[in-house]
Amino acid sequence: MAKAIYEGLKFRYKTTVIHRLDPRVKMLLSIVLFALALLGFNFYQEIITFVLVAVPATLAKSLKRLMRVVALSITFGVFVVAINLLAGGTVVESIVLAVRFLEIVASTSLFFVTTSPDELEYVLRWFRMPRDFVFAFATSIRFVPVLLMDLTQIIDAQKSRGLELDRGGPIKRIRNLVPVLIPLIVNSLVRSGELAEAMESRGYGAVKKPTSMDVLRLKINDWAALSLIIPGGALLIWLYIYVI
Amino acid sequence: MRLVITRILVISLERVAVEFNDFSFTYAGSTKPAASHVTFTVGEGDVAVLAGLSGSGKSTILRAINGLIPHIYPGEYSGSVKVEGMTVQETPTYELAKKVGFLFQNPENQIFMFTVERDIAFGLENMGYDPKVIREKTDWAMDLLGIRDLAKRSPSELSDGQKQRVAIAGSLVMDPTILVLDEPTSLLDPHTALEVVRLTKELNKRLGLTVILVEHRLELVSTIASKIIVVKDGSIWIQGTPQEVLLSDGLEEVGLSLPPVVEVQRKLGLKSGGIALDVEDFVKEVPRLWR
Repeated sequence: MAKAIYEGLKFRYKTTVIHRLDPRVKMLLSIVLFALALLGFNFYQEIITFVLVAVPATLAKSLKRLMRVVALSITFGVFVVAINLLAGGTVVESIVLAVRFLEIVASTSLFFVTTSPDELEYVLRWFRMPRDFVFAFATSIRFVPVLLMDLTQIIDAQKSRGLELDRGGPIKRIRNLVPVLIPLIVNSLVRSGELAEAMESRGYGAVKKPTSMDVLRLKINDWAALSLIIPGGALLIWLYIYVI
Repeated sequence: MRLVITRILVISLERVAVEFNDFSFTYAGSTKPAASHVTFTVGEGDVAVLAGLSGSGKSTILRAINGLIPHIYPGEYSGSVKVEGMTVQETPTYELAKKVGFLFQNPENQIFMFTVERDIAFGLENMGYDPKVIREKTDWAMDLLGIRDLAKRSPSELSDGQKQRVAIAGSLVMDPTILVLDEPTSLLDPHTALEVVRLTKELNKRLGLTVILVEHRLELVSTIASKIIVVKDGSIWIQGTPQEVLLSDGLEEVGLSLPPVVEVQRKLGLKSGGIALDVEDFVKEVPRLWR
């Protein structure tokens, strides 16, 4: 399931109008949609929020992928409904709450499916986050596919030696993961040592303020998007709180 | 007499790129030295091949060239290592990074960024170069390695050979004078391995780079090497020209196999006047050797 969510959220290079936006603008759009999803308390608000997420997702040619991620999160949605019902909520309230949760997932996923990890790194640097933190964060994302490949190989190797991951009750199944996790952790530690050597060999930490090949600059399409997102977002938030 | 003086002058004028002088190193927490009394030089523009069994100390020697030893790996250090006249012990790793390009065994572990061009630019960004200069140098490196069409691709989409090229470009973009390659072909298929070796020779010729290469398969590198250094148990077992090393006895003892073409000549007892290192030369030499 984790692999399926990763595949769903994985950035794919496209040249749509949304993909071409400055990452800061995409982040603002996601934050506004996230806020609207969070503020939605009735079906009308949920429907409006759904449409507002679906429009940029369609423009980015990523609606299907977004829906796949949402579908994978439905299990958690059901969990939200169950907890709310147990806590004394009505069925309608519980469903609205679950839909709200799925919309939060969709609004944040929109940012990740349309923004390359490189752009994300630029945004973090723009926020003046410490370089080491940004680099560690970016590297952890960069190595997700490598770790997934390692994980697949280890699972295959252990299965070929008789490991049965799907056997037994829940506790036994968790225990079954130990022979997979230990080699994975050892591999990762070895890899991190090699990474550190490679960083040193490429001058990491040579200057206090490293530069960037590309610099973030807002273009006309970014200003146009901002002129829609800022007033539109403010208006909708006001409507959500006081009117609808 | 004049000839002798000229030769002496030429030898003394030949500049040394890397100089190991009685270098020994024992990693912290270990009692056995990983390198023991290692002494050798590599001239500017040479291709030196380091060979030997796994655990013989080759990686320790390489780490001593780019300063990981002693700056990152603590331990007992004696003797001296000089790179382009700089004493490694006294030079920070980022200064050495400008002179020494380092290529690790697994290129996957030295590609940090999400696109090829950003990864190549990584070293220059670390050095604080102006964005325009970074762009120019990155484009130059991509053109040199023939990977401009991969610029926007993610490293996870590349083949092993392409990853190796990206890693080399990431090293060369810093404009080093020395390129160190730690078993660059060990994870590659024979065809791609040969391609990487040819590329290394081409870079050596075109850019005048000094190359230090760790490789077990002597048949792959004996034709491009100007010097082979065989390491055993942390010490130098033999060093010399490919001809000298390949004609020495006992290479099998240190885990090295002879190139088939050399083995044939040795079995035929064809040692006088030197041996041919590749099949084409051997075929040309057959009539002379047979006489």
